[in-house]
Amino acid sequence: MTDTQWETYEVFHQTRRGDAHIHVGCVHAPDPQMALHLARDQFARRLRCSSIWVVPTRELTASDYQDESFFSQATDKSYRDPKTFGAPDKLDPHAS
Amino acid sequence: MPANATTSDGALQQFLLALADDELVLGHRDSEWTGHAPILEEDIAFSNIAQDEMGHSLVWYALLEPFTHKTPDQMVFERDWREFSCCRFVTYPKGDFAYTVVRQFLFDEAERLRLEGLTESSHFGLKEVSGKLLPEERYHLIHSKGLVERLGDATDESRRRMQDAVTIAFPQALGMFEILEGEDELISGGIFKGNRVLQAQWLENVLPVLESVSLRAPVSRTNGSVAIACTPDYGGRRQDHVPHLRQLVEDMQQVYRSIPGATW
Repeated sequence: MTDTQWETYEVFHQTRRGDAHIHVGCVHAPDPQMALHLARDQFARRLRCSSIWVVPTRELTASDYQDESFFSQATDKSYRDPKTFGAPDKLDPHAS
Repeated sequence: MPANATTSDGALQQFLLALADDELVLGHRDSEWTGHAPILEEDIAFSNIAQDEMGHSLVWYALLEPFTHKTPDQMVFERDWREFSCCRFVTYPKGDFAYTVVRQFLFDEAERLRLEGLTESSHFGLKEVSGKLLPEERYHLIHSKGLVERLGDATDESRRRMQDAVTIAFPQALGMFEILEGEDELISGGIFKGNRVLQAQWLENVLPVLESVSLRAPVSRTNGSVAIACTPDYGGRRQDHVPHLRQLVEDMQQVYRSIPGATW
């Protein structure tokens, strides 16, 4: 079905300064400034928010779901995964 | 409020009632877009704005309570439509989306300027409240001004609809600045700068925005000064309303009046 609305912008939301921006959805808008304001209305009025990004959907380059070989592994590479030892959540600079 | 009790109490009441009723009635008109706006995002935006404007009216009704001894609910749901003091401008039907956008822009700019002025008011309650409401109102203005600037200059159809909206809405909007009874007392008391000053500031701000997208307002310019070239739609402040307000108030009060005093 053809989308008769404005073009879409992907919306990224940051809860606190320093956190990663997380994709939360998209909005229709005629240009980036309006996209930012409409994203504020939809995603930042109830959630705590320190910053939002909007990116035109057409600017995203995405992998193709049909092309399964894109992610396939020819040989077993599990030995490369760091799964046999644990790492602490935070490093203690004073540990001896 | 009693700390400020002076002879200008009557004028102050008039002023607060005009502010409260304007916000309530425009908020109601904006809410009529919920589920009907041409773009999903604008549907949500206008529903938000509707709730914001009603929230602002609640703040003004609360400031009125010491005078009226009526709760905001009683003010909204128990008054007769002929007791409202809103300008006629906010009472007209929502029209097409162009009219709604133009009305919202003309209203938001007046409200922003009024609130900015009130942050220097000698009246503590008004000063405090306007500082609180101002950031939200500035955002409303960015939204409605953004739509005017885009729709005023987009397609033949949008240009035509926006121009028709300005032609209709402009004389109505001047009704926002109808002089209140006893307004001079508010001005001399340093409470409010007055509607004449406000209208002049408003013209300075709205005309360049309209002109930037070739929308023509019914004004004439001679030697840099602006003269109004239409008849302002006055009456609302004297509670002389158009029948559209009756329909709006009936809709708004219908549920409340069906079981008065019910809570849920």
